[in-house]
Amino acid sequence: MQARARFSGQLFAMPKIVAFSSSLLLAAIALPGAAPLAAETAADHLSIELVSEAKTLVPGTTAWLGLRIRHEQNWHTYWINPGDSGLPTRVAWTLPPGFSAGEIAWPAPKRFAVDTLANFGYDGDLLLPVSLAVPADATPGTTAHIAAQAKWLVCHEECVPGKAALALDLPIAVPAEPTAHADKFVAARQAQPENGVWKADARIVGDQIEVRVRGADLGDGKGLDAFAEQAKIVANAKPTVSLRGGVPVLLFAKSDYFTAAPASFDLVLSRPHVRAIRVHATFASPDRVSSSSDSPERDASDRDAHRFRSDNVSSNPTSASP
Amino acid sequence: MKFPLAFATGLATAIIATQALAAVSVGAPAPDFSLIDSNGKTQTLSQYRGKMVVLEWNNPGCPFVHKHYASGNIPKQQAAAMADGVVWLTINSGAPGKQGYLDGAGAKAFVAQYHASPSAYLFDGDGKVGHLYGAKTTPHMYVIDGGGTLRYMGGIDSIASTDEDDLAKATQFVPQALAELKSGKPVSIATSTPYGCGVKYGP
Repeated sequence: MQARARFSGQLFAMPKIVAFSSSLLLAAIALPGAAPLAAETAADHLSIELVSEAKTLVPGTTAWLGLRIRHEQNWHTYWINPGDSGLPTRVAWTLPPGFSAGEIAWPAPKRFAVDTLANFGYDGDLLLPVSLAVPADATPGTTAHIAAQAKWLVCHEECVPGKAALALDLPIAVPAEPTAHADKFVAARQAQPENGVWKADARIVGDQIEVRVRGADLGDGKGLDAFAEQAKIVANAKPTVSLRGGVPVLLFAKSDYFTAAPASFDLVLSRPHVRAIRVHATFASPDRVSSSSDSPERDASDRDAHRFRSDNVSSNPTSASP
Repeated sequence: MKFPLAFATGLATAIIATQALAAVSVGAPAPDFSLIDSNGKTQTLSQYRGKMVVLEWNNPGCPFVHKHYASGNIPKQQAAAMADGVVWLTINSGAPGKQGYLDGAGAKAFVAQYHASPSAYLFDGDGKVGHLYGAKTTPHMYVIDGGGTLRYMGGIDSIASTDEDDLAKATQFVPQALAELKSGKPVSIATSTPYGCGVKYGP
């Protein structure tokens, strides 16, 4: 896999779209008995592997598989909402009858900024977990062949698309013993935003969208960042954050592609060294947006809130944490 | 007195641009610009008043752009637009030294290689026009009607990918908008999220 065509600068270079590995084929030939069959595929600027949390699959349970992606330094792949450019990593499964795979359980993303553009994704050693429902009638002693077609876009400043056919053979057996990758699944769960009871109210304020988070302890809001899972609602630039009566208020620029307020959207809120949380934001009904229920004082504090970046949270008396 | 109004609009646009890169919006006048083309000629948007104009942000090194050129999708759209008297301006906002930056000869070679037929290939190396329009990706498309009003902005089609296989299933937003405008209908899909490589702006 040394012949790596790159897009950079080579104006008329044919793209290397396919990053298939022959290692899969080799592994299939050197069939290692009952041991899980796996292969790390080397592609442009990353390597990718299908891994399992457990060595075996237990009938009638939910198992966890994952795409392990190891990025070359300075290169990244993308979250479900890639931001201003890029593409989310996708996976399509071919499973034995009765098995079903869930969606990617996305870890909270990082923000990658290039010039004025913002992207959301991952670098380093990444695990994208996916649940696998094992049917109750799966027969112990047999082997499940799990195949996945993964597609991604890997970027530094330049981007290279890639795809790989991945596979894993897992014995159906009780009990499930952890694999060497099990600790990565534990870490990936911790990296996922916590789904809780938090709610948020969103409303349109001119060219901006204000989100008030209720019931979440976001400390003083320092270092807080927010990522919308859905596109076309808020711009991808970092929101400004302030505390208003102890309630965190995030002010986003409206997306250039905003057409109408959806009923709701989902935000991942992250802070350094603390587990990210996921909040469900509900838009005020359209007539509430322009209603006079908000006092002039509130409008004044809207303007104040806008002045404070999330890394420079307001310390004025009305914004003090309780 | 049109002048004060135009001035005020321009000012408002400039303020928005510094805040959120959202310099233009569908239904509002498309701001005029002046850029040098691959023949060294100056091209302005306003010189095409009365005709529909398509703006296409381009970076020949970007795999998304490659998808839409190598498959013939953009060249086909350009030829159809040309046949209908539509002006197609391809704009490269890549800064010198960045991926996809071209000189005049390079742009002509690119156009020839893919049998493309833009009305002009324009250079925006300082990114001013790209930022003015809030161009984020390559490709990133805009459709302007004969009266100079922006009628579409966003992605080239409905399936964000680098796979040519997706083209058959995707709705191509620019030909759809042009056809609707031509028959006097409102543009049914007037914005979509642009997808592609980030525009390689300079610092």
